[in-house]
Amino acid sequence: MESSTRPAPKDTGLSPGTRSSMLGLMLIAPTVLVFCAVIVYPLISAIYLSLFSIYTPTMEGDWAGLSNYKVLIQSGEFWRSFGNNLVWTVGTLTLQIVFGILVALVLHQNLWFRSLARSLVLFPYFLSTVVAVLVWRWLFNDLYGVLNHFLMWTRIIDMPIDWLGTMPNAMISMILVGAWKYFPFVVIAVLARLQTIPDELYEAATIDGAGPVARFRDITLPQLREVLVVIILLRTIWDFKEFDLIYLLTGGGPVISTQTLPLMVYKEAFALNQMGSASAVAVMMMLFMLVFMFFYLRKAED
Amino acid sequence: MAVPGLSAAAPTKLRWWSTQSSPEQLAAYRYQIETFEAAHPGVEVVFERTSDEGYAAQLAAAFAGGNVPNLVTHLPSFAVADYWNAGLILPFDDVISSIGAERFNEGANRVYEIDEGVHAAAALGNTAANMLWIRTDLMEKHGVDAIPTTWDELRDACSRMQGRGIYGAPLPYARNSMTTLVIIGFIHQAGGSVFSPDLEVTLDSDEAENALEFYASMREFCPAGATGYSWGEALSAFVSGATATGLYAGRVLINVTRQNPRIADHITCATYPTISADVTPWTFNDFPSVFIPADAADLDLTRAFAAWLFEPEGYIRQLHATPGHVLPVVSDVASDERYLSNEVIARYPTEIERLSAAAAAGQNLGWETTAHPSNPRAGAVVNSGVLAEMVQRVALNGEKPRDALKTTASRIERILKA
Repeated sequence: MESSTRPAPKDTGLSPGTRSSMLGLMLIAPTVLVFCAVIVYPLISAIYLSLFSIYTPTMEGDWAGLSNYKVLIQSGEFWRSFGNNLVWTVGTLTLQIVFGILVALVLHQNLWFRSLARSLVLFPYFLSTVVAVLVWRWLFNDLYGVLNHFLMWTRIIDMPIDWLGTMPNAMISMILVGAWKYFPFVVIAVLARLQTIPDELYEAATIDGAGPVARFRDITLPQLREVLVVIILLRTIWDFKEFDLIYLLTGGGPVISTQTLPLMVYKEAFALNQMGSASAVAVMMMLFMLVFMFFYLRKAED
Repeated sequence: MAVPGLSAAAPTKLRWWSTQSSPEQLAAYRYQIETFEAAHPGVEVVFERTSDEGYAAQLAAAFAGGNVPNLVTHLPSFAVADYWNAGLILPFDDVISSIGAERFNEGANRVYEIDEGVHAAAALGNTAANMLWIRTDLMEKHGVDAIPTTWDELRDACSRMQGRGIYGAPLPYARNSMTTLVIIGFIHQAGGSVFSPDLEVTLDSDEAENALEFYASMREFCPAGATGYSWGEALSAFVSGATATGLYAGRVLINVTRQNPRIADHITCATYPTISADVTPWTFNDFPSVFIPADAADLDLTRAFAAWLFEPEGYIRQLHATPGHVLPVVSDVASDERYLSNEVIARYPTEIERLSAAAAAGQNLGWETTAHPSNPRAGAVVNSGVLAEMVQRVALNGEKPRDALKTTASRIERILKA
């Protein structure tokens, strides 16, 4: 029998610790490269562009320093858009949470066709935003829309309501459609958590004489607290940067009454062809988002 | 004809963008593409649709990314001027020569001669975009004796004809290109202009104030949802019979014929009314164009395809897709029996004549009157939406017209300086 001998490792002149560190670096390098390509580079580009006055089609322009930011901070439109952003985010998020918890509680009960109901409730979330907005625009239509027809048929109103073209209707409609579109996300997360709450807690509370409201307040809500914090943080970030639903539904109008910061970025970049100014809005938006990110990361660490 | 650069081994793809893409137009384009591909083996032409509201953003992104189409058609002349001045499109004189400059109607390409002696584009057609359309059966029923020629007459006619589920007019009040076009028309129909012949902003004027007041006063005759109307909704409102009057180009004819034949014998058109009989009508002609972006690849083939669009058989099919909407600019086609024999054109000779006359005398913001030079920043002003916003401020938010005019004038000046 031949004795096999393992070849001695090639002497690289590096200590095992150094070799191990280098291996670690090599393994993490692809991630770092991808991160730089899709996060760091666009971020630095945006900051860089925001310091220039650039004509979008040619991407040529002059150094502007911080003047884009100065103009923004002095601009009523920027702060109005920021205000709209807050109203939209708070409004739609509140409804998403309320509807989401209510529907999750219903779907947690022993219903007939519970599995079917649980699948159907996810439908708005999976529907393409373009399709969803088209459907809603059709429902809201003043001449042919079901909503106005129903309200007139029931004699609640005499004339069609302009749901999307006047204030405050446009903002309210937008918030409602947003809530309808995204509340299933809350349902999924809350329902998953509800299923892990031990039944014994409810049984003990019932024996102690707690009614449904007390059981919800003293058992369900505290148990949901952790998951709700994460949902609120994530949905706040996502709703804050929502573009397609708002753009397709109201276009930011009437005037700029429903224009949020993402719509302002688009308007500056492609309607006014001011890519530098658009980048400045985007950077400001990112700074606002960092506040949410900070809370999210702290929560994640906890 | 052999085209240099064409290789049988390497299929070449040409990309064609247009803002006009109704099903009938797409069928006509398909014919032009197929015949061109048959005559040029190894070439594939891909049609990509854009829209009146979307082209500015899409082209800005395409120019910025260097991913431009080979050919762009139906964009208004003021957009061409804007891109030409930014050095983003190529001279079109070679193509005009290969089509035959003498075939175009006299002066048809003048609006594209932004720099003397060079054409940035060629006319693909003429369009009278802001014609007044009116239901003659409703006029008769409600005692409206004649087509309104002044704003007072129009308001009176709308007031009489409105009721029983029918509105007076479908004017748009949204922040879009149609509202912009309509207010520009109203300012001219009040005897004013947005720019002076020296291209100074002259918006802060009594005429513009009258125009805004008239626009706001028409709100009571428009459907509630007109605050979101653009071209499609305004057209549908008149064609479906929901409004007694309309403001649109010639596409009304084919749409009424196909979609609502019940009213097809009861519609007619005229130039949109003016503030008084002393003011001459002013028609907004887009001057639908055809041009080649500067970074387009395969230029010889692209130029050959651009010229191909004017081959009579295909060109007539394009015109027949929307009779009276895009009107011919090639004189031999305009008098061609194949063009004139179209069912819709034959059915509405008076309307076609009115549309043609209005379009021939038409102007737009890029060339407001014959005394104005080409305005290279008109496209930026239209696409910025500031004029439409001005309408919303007055008609929807109740701001004083004069305040809105002053604010908008200064916003336009900032756009000009940018």
